[in-house]
Amino acid sequence: MIPSEQGQTTKAVSKYRSQFRIYIDIMHVIQRENNQAKPTRILYGANLSHDRLVKYLEELKNLGVIQEGGTDDKVYSLTQKGIEFLNNFRKVESFASAFGFRI
Amino acid sequence: MEFIAFAIATAVAYQALKGYRLSRERTLLYLNLSFVLLGAGLLIDGLANLVVLLIRFHRAFLFLSAFGYTINFLAQLLAYGLLVFAYIQQTRNVGAQVAMAAAVPALLFEHNPVTELILIFLLAYIATQTAINYSMNKSASALLVFGAFASLAVAHLFFLLFTLAPVFFPFAHIAQLFGFMLLLAMLLRVNQPT
Repeated sequence: MIPSEQGQTTKAVSKYRSQFRIYIDIMHVIQRENNQAKPTRILYGANLSHDRLVKYLEELKNLGVIQEGGTDDKVYSLTQKGIEFLNNFRKVESFASAFGFRI
Repeated sequence: MEFIAFAIATAVAYQALKGYRLSRERTLLYLNLSFVLLGAGLLIDGLANLVVLLIRFHRAFLFLSAFGYTINFLAQLLAYGLLVFAYIQQTRNVGAQVAMAAAVPALLFEHNPVTELILIFLLAYIATQTAINYSMNKSASALLVFGAFASLAVAHLFFLLFTLAPVFFPFAHIAQLFGFMLLLAMLLRVNQPT
C-alpha cells in the first residue's frame, strides 16, 4: 500500500491527494506501455516536468511498486506489488464512482 | 430480512473502508461510517424483534420491539444524513451545508411520522444524486446504486403508509431488502476479477 500522510492540515491532505493521483497516473502510463515504459513516455503521459518525474519515480521505486531496468536506456516496469496495487485501486475507483464519488 | 440487510451493509462498509485506506479519500470514510450505522441499526432492530418472537410476544418484553425500531430509526437518520453531507461536501454547496446543520437538532430529537418524512427526503436527495451520477457515467454499477437508494426511499414511503394501513408492512420490508440486494449486486460487480 502507498503510505498516507494522516494528521496533516487540509492543505497537506490536498497535496497528498494530488501526489497520490500522480503516482496512479505514472503507474497507468507504465501499464499502458506494455509494462515497459521509457522516462520520456512517462513524462508526457503523466504530464510532469523532468525534475518532478525523477522525484516521483524514485519514490515509487522506494515503495516497491515499480522497478528500473534496461542497459543503455532506462525502462520502468510495474512490480507484482504495483500490479496488485493498480488492480485494487481500479476496484476502489469503480466502487466510489458507483456512488458518484471521485477519488 | 434485517440480518441479510445487515450483512450487505457491513460488506459495503468494509469495501468503503478498504477504499479509504488505499486512497485516504474522506468521502469514502463518510460512506463507511454511514453503512456501519445502517448495519448497526438493522442488527439491533433484528435482534430485538427476534427476542420478542422467541418469547412469544410476552407483554413484559414488547418494549424491545419499539426500542429496536427507535435505534434503527436514529441510526438511519444519522447514516443518510452523513451520506447527504458527503454529497454536499463533494459538490461544495455551502448553502445546503448550513441548511443541513440547522436540520441536525430535528434529526436527533424528532421521533414521529414527520421524522419518517425527513428520512424519505434524505433518501430522495441521495437517490437524485445517484441518478445524476448515473446519467453522467452510464455505468451499470451506478445504476445499481441509484436503484438501491430509490428502493430504500420507496421502502420508507411504505413504512410511512403502514401507519395508515398494515397492508404496506410486507411491501416496505421487501423494498428494503431489494435495495440492499442491489447494493450487493454492485459490490459483486466492482469486485469481479480483472
